[in-house]
Amino acid sequence: MAVSFPSVEYFEALREKMAAHQDKFQRLGFIDTTFGVSVANNGKSRSFILEFEVYELKSVREVPSVDPRQVDFVLVGDSRVWREMIENIRRNGEADTSHDINTLAHLGEQLKIVYDSPDGHDKLYRFMESIQEFFDLTSQVDVSFNQ
Amino acid sequence: MAYLATRNFLEDKDFVDKWLYTIRTGELDLSWMKSATEKVKPHEANPRRGLTYRDLDIGNYGFSALPEKVRENRSYAPRGAEIPAGVPDSQPWVSRKSELWAFNTESYYEEAVSRQWNATTDIPWDRLESAELPETIGKALSQLMTFLTEVEMIATDTPAMWLPRLNPDFIEVKAFIAAQAMDEARHTEVFRKRALTTGWGLMQASPMNEMALKHLRDADSFSEMSVALHLVAEGNVLTMFRFSEYLSPTDVDKKIFRLVMQDEARHVGYGMQHFKYVLEHFPEKREVLHAHLDEAENISFAGAAATELTESFIILAGGGLKRENIEEGIRITTIFNLKQMQEHFERLEKCGMPERKERSKLYMMYEMGKAAAEAAGIRV
Repeated sequence: MAVSFPSVEYFEALREKMAAHQDKFQRLGFIDTTFGVSVANNGKSRSFILEFEVYELKSVREVPSVDPRQVDFVLVGDSRVWREMIENIRRNGEADTSHDINTLAHLGEQLKIVYDSPDGHDKLYRFMESIQEFFDLTSQVDVSFNQ
Repeated sequence: MAYLATRNFLEDKDFVDKWLYTIRTGELDLSWMKSATEKVKPHEANPRRGLTYRDLDIGNYGFSALPEKVRENRSYAPRGAEIPAGVPDSQPWVSRKSELWAFNTESYYEEAVSRQWNATTDIPWDRLESAELPETIGKALSQLMTFLTEVEMIATDTPAMWLPRLNPDFIEVKAFIAAQAMDEARHTEVFRKRALTTGWGLMQASPMNEMALKHLRDADSFSEMSVALHLVAEGNVLTMFRFSEYLSPTDVDKKIFRLVMQDEARHVGYGMQHFKYVLEHFPEKREVLHAHLDEAENISFAGAAATELTESFIILAGGGLKRENIEEGIRITTIFNLKQMQEHFERLEKCGMPERKERSKLYMMYEMGKAAAEAAGIRV
């Protein structure tokens, strides 16, 4: 059954896949970061907080909005950009050279990285490959779009 | 031989007799069993993570108990061991905690160990077989890789040469610095491999870059080295790796830059936490740090503007050498240059040095560059 994006169920599905691929994530190493994901659509947005610890996504919850002071960083983008990224990953098995997180966020024209502390911001890069591999697990999840 | 043993044991009759006596009689000394050391039983705070250095932060063995000035241990004795008479003086250069400590040092080391990767087997080199790049792009990519190989070689030497100079009581910092040297050696390896796999071989070494690198290597103190290397140089290189990932023409290059940026961000993290620690625990050093930054910023400004680097970025960002390519390349490269400077000052502010902007000539350059970019229609 398809899980809708954005939703807690979508991230829970990725969490299950992450647990099923523990060998890969253990090879990548500890991932200790808490970050937000915000998906905007027609002036409204849905926001989530993802807490990673050791090798797992420990928790995910939906929140009315993300306070950048409470997390390391927030990935913010329009639902159109998120959808394009997800469809690209599903098509290729992983993000292609135009759709990985760093490329989408680098100039801030597609995804934006919002942060309070540069130390928190740098955590995106400290755990970049794990975060990218986490989103690439979307290729194994059937996703529908409700925005 | 700079150091000679205090005795010639092979010709010392008492020493040799004692050795033979033990063999003959089986009589043991066992005085070491009565070492006046603390008995502890550490356990894993999180079994998924394993037994970490933080779990060993107990009593006299812990890093929390380290004094600001380590006077007792000048030998190679592990922290917490009994130190009998007769151990040599290791003559450490750094025995003051605030000269090298960083908040969460032990976690940075554990993360470094856990996130090691292998440039030979973790990069899908075989995918390059089908990746044909235009000559200009291939040469620009090779020039970038040549530049980065040069950078990473000195980045390996610099932390490594400080290792024996640090008091052995600072185990966690020494471990982190050793892990950093390994990270940088792997970066040298991966960039060299990628340069050669472009098919164009290595391009040109960079005098401007090497001047900046020599500044890192020849720092007079650990703190000066850390400010110049971890905070300024690696901060700039982290932004550069993210930019290079963004520009990467193949998914192999993307993977390389994602992996190196992880290591680099960890080094910057240590640098920031060290800088913060110095400012909080050794406030009289603030002026000295400003002086270090004056020089480090001067050199990093010059190094970042090295022709070999800037032009390869412009070509990679614009996609070639046609006029429209160059215009686009300059637009994107200018945004990157300014972002490098902006993030540098953000880091310093967060570390507790907000006044840096007012004192820094680099910040003046940032404002001038930003104004020039906006006048040229480049949205920063």
